[in-house]
Amino acid sequence: MSSNPSPSNSSRFEGCTLTGALSVLTEVRDAVCIIHGPAGCTHHNFSLLHATLLSNDRLEVPRLLSTRLTENGIIFGGEEALEKTLARALSLSPAPASVFVLSTCIVETIGDDTEAVCAKDRGIPVIAVPTAGFLGGVFETGIRNALSTVASLARPVTETTLSANLVGEKNLEYGVDENAAEIARLLGLLGIGVNLRFVRGIETRDIERLGSAAVNILREPALRPVGEGLERRLGTPYVDSFPAGLAGTCRFLEEVGRICGIDASAAVEEERACQAAMLAGFADIAGSRVRFQSAHPMLRTDPGAVAICTECAEALDLAVVPDGAAIPLPYPAPVGTAGLRRMLHRWRVLIREKKRG
Amino acid sequence: MKQIALYGKGGIGKSTTAANLSAALAGEGLDILQIGCDPKHDSTRMLMHGTWIPTVLDLIRERGDENITADDVVYGGFRGVRCVEAGGPEPGIGCAGRGIIATFQLLERLDALKGDVIVYDVLGDVVCGGFAMPMREGYAQEVYLVTSGELMSVYAANNIAKAIARLSRRVRSRCTLGGVICNAKNIEGERELVEEFARRINSRLIAYIPRSRVVQVAELQKQTVVEYAPESDQAAVYQELARTIHRNETTSIPTPLEMDELESFALEFVQV
Repeated sequence: MSSNPSPSNSSRFEGCTLTGALSVLTEVRDAVCIIHGPAGCTHHNFSLLHATLLSNDRLEVPRLLSTRLTENGIIFGGEEALEKTLARALSLSPAPASVFVLSTCIVETIGDDTEAVCAKDRGIPVIAVPTAGFLGGVFETGIRNALSTVASLARPVTETTLSANLVGEKNLEYGVDENAAEIARLLGLLGIGVNLRFVRGIETRDIERLGSAAVNILREPALRPVGEGLERRLGTPYVDSFPAGLAGTCRFLEEVGRICGIDASAAVEEERACQAAMLAGFADIAGSRVRFQSAHPMLRTDPGAVAICTECAEALDLAVVPDGAAIPLPYPAPVGTAGLRRMLHRWRVLIREKKRG
Repeated sequence: MKQIALYGKGGIGKSTTAANLSAALAGEGLDILQIGCDPKHDSTRMLMHGTWIPTVLDLIRERGDENITADDVVYGGFRGVRCVEAGGPEPGIGCAGRGIIATFQLLERLDALKGDVIVYDVLGDVVCGGFAMPMREGYAQEVYLVTSGELMSVYAANNIAKAIARLSRRVRSRCTLGGVICNAKNIEGERELVEEFARRINSRLIAYIPRSRVVQVAELQKQTVVEYAPESDQAAVYQELARTIHRNETTSIPTPLEMDELESFALEFVQV
């Protein structure tokens, strides 16, 4: 139990396990997610997912069903309600290609055997995902549980191609597709394609090819347990984070190259030139005075973000001084060179505002 | 209105004691309501001459709680004792504790909790908050622990004393321990052991019910002892218990024993 109410502890590090899992599972577009619990658990998450999709200009409706448990379901057990909802899911049109069954606090408390109900053969994959929040998990746990569970649909590996999977993209955040495009661009420098976005905008069938990639690129180090699980099961090595920072982006190319047995030096050269051209675009703010601050007074300063900002400040010859233009530290860290470009655009606006007074 | 609850280890004879107590209280001309709070729903069966009455939760499951009246859940038994069985889910599924809570809410709404004495007969151990419901505000003010001299039964009674002590700390709580009833198993020194246990948890032995074959025989006839053998010594014991409980005004907040205290207590009484 956390007694620290600061936003850094309540954003993605706490929150509901169920929401974390749904942020992954609803991106399997031909699946239906059943939330086994009271209707409110579904309603709340439906609203959140729908609103997030809308604000990312995606007019989609997450396919969620609730077992709508009420007090009687709790007293007498909710497995029958789950059976009924599963039958309803299977009768939907278009028919789902898979069904994920997510548990809630109350059904885990009364000991409903969700897994046993899912184990019956129904012609399509019906997969139980443990997501009861009270067991100590947080949003992040939900993401990990969901990724690991969905991975059970991967076919055994026969051969791998020179390609990569993007693992655990942060589907509820802005810039998800821009970040993916940046990774695809960087991988392209090495001649590596994207095998699968795991999980973003894919279909159940796509998951079968999860094991054919030569490397898994995890969104962030918190996903290491997932990366390790995939390595054990499918033999795919992983890079533990999307690249951040100027040097970090070049290191990323080297690391992916090393894993895939590719000489990355030409790609790194090319990227350095690309970074130089990008920085040249901000020559107008060279010599400006800046200072970095947490995005919110209650957020702790993230040393990784400070390192990235300091690196950019040096590259642009900015003076970091106490009375400089206030620049909020980025969260999450900008991805690749394109992410830095977007970040520097914001810096420029802040520097100009400060100069105008 | 006096509300009492009988708690104790499973199989110790709570329901037999409760049914005979209710029957004997009714013999004093009192209006009695007995509520079985156990998914096994066999608390009132002897009062009902072997009939399994529909349980509150069966009715809720079949009809929903909107379409139930007091007459659907309250059944008149021997000497007019009104009988209710809470019931519960099938074994191995659901949440029986929540079932007790739902039952109480429904009985409240139906205004069914009335009479001169209400006897709550609660399952083996206070395994969760639901089964502590009868001890909560507005329900039983007096709890009677039923135990034999067997140590497992004493342990269970001590555990229940913990629940009473916990609940009695609540501001508006009126739950207290009325006393300990020894339902004997014919163990040597049994009465002394239970008496001493009661004393150590800041209570007292309120009745000693000797083991008697007539209890079994009456049960085979699907009757309480009070009905089957009203002139027997055993019936007299239950009548005395009824009178004692009815006029009992001495209750206490129990001081349950710690596990090591319990163990050394056991060693004092059991010859190894």
